Amino acid sequence: MNRKNDNPEKEIEKEGLIKAKKLQKVFVVGGGFARSRLLAVDDVSFQVNKNEIFTLAGESGCGKTTVSKILLGFLEPTQGEVYYRDKNILELQKWEEKKQFMKEVQSIFQNPFETFNPLRKVDSYLHDTAKNFGMNGKKRDKKAVEEALQSVGLGMEEVQGRYPSEFSGGQLQRISIARALITKPSLLVADEPVSMVDASLRMSIVNLFKELRDEYSVSVLYITHDLATAYYVSDRIGIMFRGNIVEMGDVEEVLMNPKHPYTQMLKESIPEADPKKKWTERVSITELETEEYMRKGCKFAGRCPFVEEKCKDFMPEEFFVDGRMVRCWLYEK
Amino acid sequence: MDILKTENLKSYYILEMGETKKEVKAVNDVTINIHEDEIYGIAGESGCGKSTFLKTICKLVEPPLRMIGGTIYYQIDGKYVEITEIKEEDFRKLRWKYISYIPQGSMNALNPIIRIRESFKDFFTAHQKIENEERDFEEPLKKHLSALGLPVRVLKSYPHQLSGGMRQRTTIALATILKPRIIVADEPTTALDVVAQRAVIQLLKDIQKLQKNTIILVTHDMAVHANITDRIGIMYAGMFVEEARTDDIFENPLHPYTKFLIASLPKMGDKTYKPSVPGVPPSLSNLPPGCPFHPRCPYVMDICKKEIPQLVELNTEHKSACFLNSKERVE
Ligand SMILES: Nc1ncnc2c1ncn2[C@@H]1O[C@H](COP(=O)(O)OP(=O)(O)OP(=O)(O)O)[C@@H](O)[C@H]1O
Ligand SMILES: Nc1ncnc2c1ncn2[C@@H]1O[C@H](COP(=O)(O)OP(=O)(O)OP(=O)(O)O)[C@@H](O)[C@H]1O
Ligand code: SF4
Ligand SMILES: [Mg+2]
Ligand SMILES: [Mg+2]
Repeated sequence: MNRKNDNPEKEIEKEGLIKAKKLQKVFVVGGGFARSRLLAVDDVSFQVNKNEIFTLAGESGCGKTTVSKILLGFLEPTQGEVYYRDKNILELQKWEEKKQFMKEVQSIFQNPFETFNPLRKVDSYLHDTAKNFGMNGKKRDKKAVEEALQSVGLGMEEVQGRYPSEFSGGQLQRISIARALITKPSLLVADEPVSMVDASLRMSIVNLFKELRDEYSVSVLYITHDLATAYYVSDRIGIMFRGNIVEMGDVEEVLMNPKHPYTQMLKESIPEADPKKKWTERVSITELETEEYMRKGCKFAGRCPFVEEKCKDFMPEEFFVDGRMVRCWLYEK
Repeated sequence: MDILKTENLKSYYILEMGETKKEVKAVNDVTINIHEDEIYGIAGESGCGKSTFLKTICKLVEPPLRMIGGTIYYQIDGKYVEITEIKEEDFRKLRWKYISYIPQGSMNALNPIIRIRESFKDFFTAHQKIENEERDFEEPLKKHLSALGLPVRVLKSYPHQLSGGMRQRTTIALATILKPRIIVADEPTTALDVVAQRAVIQLLKDIQKLQKNTIILVTHDMAVHANITDRIGIMYAGMFVEEARTDDIFENPLHPYTKFLIASLPKMGDKTYKPSVPGVPPSLSNLPPGCPFHPRCPYVMDICKKEIPQLVELNTEHKSACFLNSKERVE
């Protein structure tokens, strides 16, 4: 890949690239009597720094995708703001500014089948992306597309003239990563980019993220439930549970020495790819997702082994301990 | 005894574009035996033909997919029956009662506007007579759910009120209520978090223990394979290139592709660089001559570029299709 780094701010380390401030998102679910408000995201603040891979991890339905859609400007938060390079993205007025934001912040979705229009050939879609973001001339556009495909291990021959239905999930996911790379973005928001691909391809995708970070100063917001790849690839991590970030900090610290009872449980349940270490304990999940969302205190109170009275009634604040954030009453000083 | 076996099975996507005709060889000469009462896992590169293989053995072949050759046998009450010879209307009776297929992404296929109970009922009435609702439907349903450790109140919920994991378990419960002999599950744990994954795996194990059926499980999650399968078949470019007992696949992979696959697994607490398979996956419509892995194989020899290695047994129950391992090379 021949991606010249023309970002003059490369040297400035640890500077926030995108910041989420106290995001909240309420959905109204169900109809008639079953109608209720769902606090899908609540009081979520974090930032992705320059030259950094930041992971948001957590169980299905905890609000990861909702957060990423708000960051991309696809979904308006009920409350809170998002700043990209210190500009509030909801207040970007000029078309030029919006276009620049869309060019610099690219996304990769969970389900690659939704990324592509089933009636259009995949390569024409890629070429349009290059054209829309003005990569200067047909020849350059073509080259940009080819380079992007190459960086995900695909060739033009395999893609040309084919419709999305002619690819497997994994192939399509690589093409959607290639599409995101065409505009040479500063930030990639990747929502579960590896859940549909094989183990080796998973590694090649996360290795690609590392390479993009190290050589082209691309930051990555990596959203996943796969803690093993999260540990491998990220610098910092935020663990989400039912709409809140419950623990956030350096990946080594958070995953190797978790403080929040939920993170501890999550770590215990990580499966090992080793037939000698099979699961022996049984898990029981009886609480329904919506019931946990409706809790007024700590949302983990129903499953937490350390639960106290206070937890059931009051939502814990963000406590800062040993350089990380933990949202749990156990850490109130 | 085998419950299902294929011989030289081939199914291709045939794409006609004007003058040109293209064949995507998604299942290419597969001969495989699946035993009664076992959990058989299938892993392999994205796009290598795993889902196509499952569709083919479930007799769900629709254009542009075509079964080009070979045979598929089900063992029904001790006799092998060639399924391509069964008429569609007779085969319909086997579906869900003899063989259940849980396709990729099926947890999103529950009807969103009716309660789970109604979904079960629609499904039930389509396959079985209900004379007395309480005796023929409610009772067996509640028994089935509680045997699987699912709360009975899921029946009153709408799909959107359930988490992805709970929806997936409900789908599996639905697909197994008629006690099929074979359960075919395509990626039932992808997109689920680890806790939900464990619950799904536990559910499949429980069903298998209760009903003594055979599960054919496709997944990219090698940890899931390690936890639940008895044997694993590794697919590459439409072929099975290795098959062994689960322990042996992890401890002693023989085929170079499998070696890469196992070496690429990340572990907590280990940040050392994990390589992935070099090169690009082959195009199934334009396969290289000889061994399909040879353009990417670090051990490639002359013979690999000319001849296709056969899947042969090397150790007990351990087969591999590679000239490095096989005796053919010496001859
Ligand atoms: N448009 C919507 N309307 C109503 N509820 C929604 C909507 N989108 C999401 N939700 C709900 O909000 C919660 C968070 O959903 P979200 O998709 O953000 O979770 P997630 O962490 O990405 O989950 P997964 O790991 O399954 O992708 C879930 O309970 C979901 O059902
Ligand atoms: N309808 C179709 N028309 C043409 N080619 C197809 C079609 N469906 C699948 N293919 C091709 O057939 C091959 C096998 O696809 P299949 O879905 O079986 O792969 P898979 O192993 O299940 O992949 P994944 O792990 O990504 O689910 C792929 O190369 C794919 O591009
Ligand atoms: S047969 Fe040859 S090319 Fe194929 S995997 Fe074995 S050594 Fe490699
Ligand atoms: Mg999501
Ligand atoms: Mg598949």
